[in-house]
Amino acid sequence: MRALKARNDSSRREPRGAAGCVIAALFVAPLAFGQIPPELQRAADAARSLNYTGTIVYQHGNRIETSRLVHLADAGGDYAKLINLEGPAREVIRDNDQVRCYYPDVKLMRIEPRAFHNVFPALLPQQLATLSEYYTFRKAETARIAGLDAQAYIFEPKDNLRYAHKFWVDVGTGLLLKVLLLNERNDPVEHFAFSDIQIGVKLERDMLKPPFPAPPSDWQVRESPPGEVVTKDTGWVVKDMPPGFAKIIEGYRTLRGKQGQVAHLVYSDGLVAVSVFIEPSPSAPQPVGLSQQGGLNVYSRQLNDYLVTVLGEAPGTTVRQIAYSVGRR
Amino acid sequence: MVMDKYEAEPKPEEISLLMDGELDAERFDSVCTGLRDTRCMATWVCYHVIGDALRGGASGSIRGFAEHFHATLEAEPTVLAPRRRPAPAAIALAAAATVAAVSLVSWVALTTMPGGDSKAFAALATAKQASAVRAADARPAVENEYVLVHQEYSPTTALQGVRPYLRAVAASEPDARP
Repeated sequence: MRALKARNDSSRREPRGAAGCVIAALFVAPLAFGQIPPELQRAADAARSLNYTGTIVYQHGNRIETSRLVHLADAGGDYAKLINLEGPAREVIRDNDQVRCYYPDVKLMRIEPRAFHNVFPALLPQQLATLSEYYTFRKAETARIAGLDAQAYIFEPKDNLRYAHKFWVDVGTGLLLKVLLLNERNDPVEHFAFSDIQIGVKLERDMLKPPFPAPPSDWQVRESPPGEVVTKDTGWVVKDMPPGFAKIIEGYRTLRGKQGQVAHLVYSDGLVAVSVFIEPSPSAPQPVGLSQQGGLNVYSRQLNDYLVTVLGEAPGTTVRQIAYSVGRR
Repeated sequence: MVMDKYEAEPKPEEISLLMDGELDAERFDSVCTGLRDTRCMATWVCYHVIGDALRGGASGSIRGFAEHFHATLEAEPTVLAPRRRPAPAAIALAAAATVAAVSLVSWVALTTMPGGDSKAFAALATAKQASAVRAADARPAVENEYVLVHQEYSPTTALQGVRPYLRAVAASEPDARP
């Protein structure tokens, strides 16, 4: 979906769309890797250009959640609707660039105009090189997923600072059917898979309508502030960055619920990103230490009058190391 | 991690690594020795309070280490008393940890009385799971802002289509504040 938006964006933003760069991370990399199968490019295309509907099982930590996804692509762009099937009903409706999240249990609608924008900057040539330096890419086994024949591909880290990433794609259409993140002990960290899927079905736009034309009057509507990073030298540095991670952006953000500006630095090894947030210490006590959110490890610590929070799809030791080496230049 | 492996005084992050059982073997004895220092011990205690609070009071994962540590201590007894008062955040979390621990203990007591060890173990495992979920739910909603913002930069989401949305739907409670 992100890929699709980027394609739309690319015509009116920079000539090199963000997804182009993201895809470049994986698909220009053949130069570095020698060979990356075109199936992965196909997966990115299939995700945005096909109609499909299915049930997704999402597992992270001790939790398993199932959701229903409907995805439709037509001349007007692409649309998706995601409904969780357990717990309080929540819906995410995406109409091209705009994302609306409905939380009927708390009578809340959130508008996330920026939530999944493609602002991923161009990957630096050295990042493409580090991708092959720090990961081994290979074609793995074939499997049957959601009743379809699938081919697996895996990025295996060469050190213990990163997770392994495994992807299964439908042999017939190229659509991604399953993703698995594995930690240094080869245990699953996060995993999502279609348990059933229909691809290439005829769908009507009505099937992707929001639950209400407009939210009921007693609902709260919350729109995110324009969340783009204002690129700027923040004076913050990570003195002891794990090898292979390069800074891709640095600046300040205005975030909902935060007073004042939050410094945001993002580092990437070409496959994952790690974010470093630094904010003035909030008046209320904040939990510190390591926690998990989905496949993300989050490490917070107090640094003088600041709260440092580091998060990324990387092992706890990696985010902790980064959190402890944040300092002033 | 770039650090002098033979430096005598443990760094706070080493104490944290030790707690999680992830400290390099070659630093293990040295850091344990360093814990005789009251300042280091205060850090150790403080981290445990915080860790327990985040885990909802279940600290079984460090039991193995505690035994090892006690054995080391017994070999050379030292009075250990943290002098510094813990930070207000730690006090708040300690209170939360106590509540969680009490509920955990009573829950285990209720469910394990008729059964044997295996049942107690299963109950504890379930309770731990529940407390892990509680701990996750207790994360401040504002951190979800961080998660959402971070998604923009995750290179592989281009391939994965819906994963960011799954995280958004799963991201516990929406922020109830204005």
